[in-house]
Amino acid sequence: MTDDREATSDETLCRRIAARDDAAFDLLVARYQGRAYRLAWSLLRNAEDARDASQEAFIRVWEAAERFRGDARFSTWFYRILVNVCLDHKRRGRWWARLVTRDAHRDADESLVERHPAPEPDPGDQVSEAQRMTRLWDAVHRLSAQQRAAVILYAQEHLTTAQIAEILRVAEPTVRVHLHRAVAALRKELAP
Amino acid sequence: MTPERSDDLTPAEREILARAAAAAPPPPEPRWGEYRAQLRARLDAHRSAGARLHRWWARPAPIALSFGLATAVLLFVLQPVDRRPDLAGLDDAVLGAQLPLLEHYRVVERLDLLEDFDVIRQLDRLSSREG
Repeated sequence: MTDDREATSDETLCRRIAARDDAAFDLLVARYQGRAYRLAWSLLRNAEDARDASQEAFIRVWEAAERFRGDARFSTWFYRILVNVCLDHKRRGRWWARLVTRDAHRDADESLVERHPAPEPDPGDQVSEAQRMTRLWDAVHRLSAQQRAAVILYAQEHLTTAQIAEILRVAEPTVRVHLHRAVAALRKELAP
Repeated sequence: MTPERSDDLTPAEREILARAAAAAPPPPEPRWGEYRAQLRARLDAHRSAGARLHRWWARPAPIALSFGLATAVLLFVLQPVDRRPDLAGLDDAVLGAQLPLLEHYRVVERLDLLEDFDVIRQLDRLSSREG
């Protein structure tokens, strides 16, 4: 049983990918596709970009698998690749595309009202809570790229500050500063 | 959120971050079969591009050409600046070729003198023309 688990551990699959094992690659993709896409979507806020970036990250895993030393967990290494791809994607811009799709985003954001029903039975409270959530989500996207990545990795992916530091290639205190600043910015949005 | 995480965030701050994460709407779910097929196609394209590049490099002519060009550029770049051909050097070479004329310096000097005599002889004519 333990041997089976060992044989299909992320790290073992990565070593098999380094030896150009297609089946191992497919298995790893199936295992990480949901997480990769969701994280990319949270960072890029665009379905097409998220699909593109998460696929690009898998291709980079294929390319760089032999350089995976195994001294960190595979997930940390993979998140680092993915976050870098997403930040590069964001930096590259495609500002004209964003101009075109801005209205679509606005529509998607407005639909959050339906996606976040508040537990209160009062419909008025429900709407205001949903609006607050929308404002909060918008505020996350107004954070700097590093702060946003830190918040999403911490709160959504449940990683530790040490893991986030490794992914973002910064010191752990820097991650804490990012989180504190993000909290300060988000607190303003939650103020009544 | 795992409570054992060692960070210096207060429970209230963690709560704010948790709410921020909860504020994220669910992403539009892709069709995973299509997603994997697209990824497979991209990977195959990537591999064949890599293979094409590898085949190109495997040919002797492009290798020789590339190395020749790279060597020429490298030699030029690595050459000391004072040894690179420049216009000042060319000028020096031209002047150097005229050095044997110095052997006939006295003759040249006399020719200059004769020229001066000629000017002196014609001074009267020049002044009368101006006057």
